[in-house]
Amino acid sequence: MAAINLSMGAAIVGAAESNEIGYPEERGEKVTSLQHHIQAIKNVSEYTGIPISDIEGIFSTGWSVELAEHLGIRPHYIDTTSVGGCSFEIHVHHALAAIASGIIDVAVVSHGEAGWSYRGAGGGGGGRGEMSPGAEMTMAYGTFGAPSQYAHAMVRHMHQYGSTVEDFAHISVVTREWAQKNPRALMFTDASQAEVKLGERTPNPFGGPITVQDVLDARIIAWPLTLFHCCLVTDHGGAVIVARPEIARSLRTNPVWIAGAGESMAHQNMLEMDDFTATSAARSSAIAYEMAGLGPQDMDMALIYDSFTVTAAITAEMLGLAPRGQGCRLWKDGDAAPGGRLPINTNGGGLSFNHSGMYGMQLLVEAYRQLSGTAEDGINGIEGKQTDSHTCVVNGTGGTLSTTGTLVLVSDD
Amino acid sequence: MAYNKPIPRKGQHNQPFWDGAKEGKLMLPRCTLCGKVHWYPRLICPSCHSTDLEWIEGSGEGRLHTFAVQHRAFGGWAEEVPYVTAYIDLNEGDRMMTVLRGVDPNKPEDIKIGAKVKVEFDQADDDTHIPFWRVVEE
Ligand SMILES: [Zn+2]
Repeated sequence: MAAINLSMGAAIVGAAESNEIGYPEERGEKVTSLQHHIQAIKNVSEYTGIPISDIEGIFSTGWSVELAEHLGIRPHYIDTTSVGGCSFEIHVHHALAAIASGIIDVAVVSHGEAGWSYRGAGGGGGGRGEMSPGAEMTMAYGTFGAPSQYAHAMVRHMHQYGSTVEDFAHISVVTREWAQKNPRALMFTDASQAEVKLGERTPNPFGGPITVQDVLDARIIAWPLTLFHCCLVTDHGGAVIVARPEIARSLRTNPVWIAGAGESMAHQNMLEMDDFTATSAARSSAIAYEMAGLGPQDMDMALIYDSFTVTAAITAEMLGLAPRGQGCRLWKDGDAAPGGRLPINTNGGGLSFNHSGMYGMQLLVEAYRQLSGTAEDGINGIEGKQTDSHTCVVNGTGGTLSTTGTLVLVSDD
Repeated sequence: MAYNKPIPRKGQHNQPFWDGAKEGKLMLPRCTLCGKVHWYPRLICPSCHSTDLEWIEGSGEGRLHTFAVQHRAFGGWAEEVPYVTAYIDLNEGDRMMTVLRGVDPNKPEDIKIGAKVKVEFDQADDDTHIPFWRVVEE
């Protein structure tokens, strides 16, 4: 099949978050998912100088019509793809296609999820009156939520490749180290570091660096996963604007070019996961790398969905950043750490920065911050960045290691 | 004591399985065109897309593919933590999920992937005998 090469057919021209991410509820303020969306869209509009009225395409996980009505706009490209945490990488892929084919010039991808404040409020998949026939055949067996399922993949990885719980724990430790460089990270600091400039933030007594032993000793959730192998549950909103190259070059913001994009899927139910040590990121990244004309060896950094340590390790292998079975080594050997050869999850990840249930937007915001040189100044060594990266592979994972979206992003020199 | 854990939902596509389970049989769907057994029960063969499917009685034997130990649970399952959940490779092909028996959840390092397992059924209500798998001697 001969396809148009979409590479560099659009750029992410700005990224922004909602006003209060993390646990706004603890400051006596219950922020709804809709508020997170609207704040983030308003913020990214102001940041880029693109008026909300210029938005022609709207991309979100099911919210698009509600958002457009609320904003008083009438987009002519509407996408509500909702396939878990990777939806936002997939939205960017779709926006790239819509822009490169000339249907629209400007798209917004939006995320709002009060994952903590409205926890237990239900929502996930209810009301259809039908259950996946696969889920009917697993519902009897006492698994509750993502960690209870992902643990099966980690055990299989350990069996197949001889990886150990300690190997995976290094991912938590290194990711927490990155969080110490990001004041927006929930696990940025502990009470003993209260003198660190925090703005109005309350120091997090549970924050600060951790050790491998801390990870091993943390409360067990589903063996071999302890709490510190698992992502946070927080509130978050974020939005990015994707625009045609001519517009991208005319703005005051630095563009981050979409060199490659791909998406793929494996299963809905984990019961159908052929290989518990592999995800469809092998396919989505192959598509993205080919479009970009770049490979894993060309990547300066990576942003990898880390719902759990095992998600990050397996995904690193699927993206070609490490050999099969050796994903943990990137963290264990320091490559992924601050100052390392291949910085990974520079924001502190879903493990220590923020994870609202779907983490794909947090990946996009961080990719934009790093490649555009607009990370907060004064904390990172390199002004405006945690790294000096110009290329980044971003991979979202949705469901239970099910769907994936990969982006290869590059900045101007 | 009444069964206090989730009871699977049933429909036309999987009723023969539950009918067999009442008699202690592990019934499996098989495609008459390509001959492949698939699990879970479907409306169409996922290998060749034939809709001509039949049910066969399985051996009730398989191998442990992978597992986890659940320490956090709700409802009736909360009373049983820790317990081992697992995926089973059926001798006939494809894979089932279960709560695994015949293993010590407090010694996960002793649980052997590849171990031989056999099915057994627990009666949950008049219509439902739920299959569970147990590690057995070779
Ligand atoms: Zn068939």
